[in-house]
Amino acid sequence: MKKLYNILRIVCLIVLALPLALAWVPSEVFEGLVPVSLVESGYLHSLFLSFRELSITLVATMLFAMLLSVSLGYISVLSIRVGRGFSNVLNAVESIPSILVALFCYAPVSGYLARHSSAASTTMSLIVFVLAATVTTLPEAVRSIDIPLSDLYNRKYSLSFRSYGFTKQRILAVLMNTALMRNTLKRVAAGILLKTLVLDCSFGFIIQLGFGSYGTPAHLSPGALIAAHRDALFEGGEPILFWLPSIMLITISVAFLLMLNDSKEETE
Amino acid sequence: MRFLRFLVREFLIHGIVFAVAGTVILSGFYLLSIGAPIESYGETVRSFFLLVSGSEDFSTAHPGFSSGRIIASGAAVTLPLALMALIILTLIALAGSAYAVTGRYLARHHGHTGQERLDGVLSLFTSILAAVPLFVGFWVLANAFGSDAPFPIIAFITVVLGGLSWDATNFLKTDMLSQVETTHAIVFSTLGHGLGRFFPRPGTYSGYLFSSSLPRFIPYLAGKVPAIIGSVTIAEIVFSFPGLGSTLLDALLATNTDLLVASVFILLCVNAVVAFLVKTILFLIYPRWYEKAI
Repeated sequence: MKKLYNILRIVCLIVLALPLALAWVPSEVFEGLVPVSLVESGYLHSLFLSFRELSITLVATMLFAMLLSVSLGYISVLSIRVGRGFSNVLNAVESIPSILVALFCYAPVSGYLARHSSAASTTMSLIVFVLAATVTTLPEAVRSIDIPLSDLYNRKYSLSFRSYGFTKQRILAVLMNTALMRNTLKRVAAGILLKTLVLDCSFGFIIQLGFGSYGTPAHLSPGALIAAHRDALFEGGEPILFWLPSIMLITISVAFLLMLNDSKEETE
Repeated sequence: MRFLRFLVREFLIHGIVFAVAGTVILSGFYLLSIGAPIESYGETVRSFFLLVSGSEDFSTAHPGFSSGRIIASGAAVTLPLALMALIILTLIALAGSAYAVTGRYLARHHGHTGQERLDGVLSLFTSILAAVPLFVGFWVLANAFGSDAPFPIIAFITVVLGGLSWDATNFLKTDMLSQVETTHAIVFSTLGHGLGRFFPRPGTYSGYLFSSSLPRFIPYLAGKVPAIIGSVTIAEIVFSFPGLGSTLLDALLATNTDLLVASVFILLCVNAVVAFLVKTILFLIYPRWYEKAI
């Protein structure tokens, strides 16, 4: 019964996160399934492009943020003094709203993004966003790793490792490979994905609202696409232009929330 | 002595010093990366002091934004919205956890599984609401009300969509549920007190469990203040309220460094004020827990 439930859960997760994978299929494949107006106006192409860029942003941020979080979490437990220093810096970063961090990361490069070609500008914009998202997700991610790792290190069986003469680095390396830490890492990854998704789309929406199509970030975001078609909800508009990317974002978020919930239950 | 230490730490260091340091670091970073001439740094510092002192001469190069107006926009829009959102968030988390914890108690000890099942359905529903992007909810609301949307509804949307209330309820629920099978909770349940199904009132079963979770819940709420402020900033921009979010965007549009620095500083101050209020509650109710938390 539990096996069936697990299979159903995985199928459900795959279906919900499908928009991210389908975005990589050429948009021409879906042209017959949507109203002609969406194809002719170029909306369908923009929709695919925005979710393609969203998937790149999510994967890049998750890999970069996980690498940093695991390293910082490990170092924090290895050296308590260094860990305290990291914790103070990360607490200060956490006290600044993430949307503000993203705005300040973008402001300096806005000139560069406006001056350079579309491809260079898109790459630069993605890099800046990945950095901004990593900065905002790092405090919680590092805390979520170093607290259980330090708990494990102070448990009895870890003391027995020490009596065998294992170094602290080696004990921590062994502990990082336990089921509890693997579940913790899964939860941290899901949390990073969710936060990045929210930040990317909210930021894209705000910038599109404030600056129009001339604003940065230069990379397309589903949030910017929704903002560009926000008038579709007014009388005479086509609500599908607003709701299609919104519903796709909701399904992806539900998938990440389910992942977060599942790994929480496994950890408990 | 303990109260003095609390004031120095939370008001002076985490409040004033963090707000000033945050503004200095962000502004310095901004000026450095746009390649501003050296005299711009001096002008920005001067302008910042004029803002803090409430001078009429603030940002003379960019008329239209007085220091009083920026501070007022924070006090009249951002702060009340943030406080309202914080109160609604707390109420939702309390009601959700009380319902979940009494449902678990009834299922485990009396075999009544109805409430626990309903809680499962409600959890799924709140998860779906949490997955709705905040700006989508705001725009739908703006479509219905325009710029006249009432503050309480905006504050409600701020916490219900985007995951804030989902996360807070889950945090408190998990903490309270972990106590259902403990000896002290079982003993309390035999004393004949009410359950407190919908709210953890004092003297009820859920109220008893909540009193044990409160010292952990308050620091959690303090940690969520920046997320609330960030969400409120998005609301201000979407509804075109003359709050700090809109001022910040105006500053970016006009590349007005003085205004940018001023709005960031006031935003960080609002952030610090709300966090200070939450920590003061923790200190007043549980001074030992506060000491332990730091």
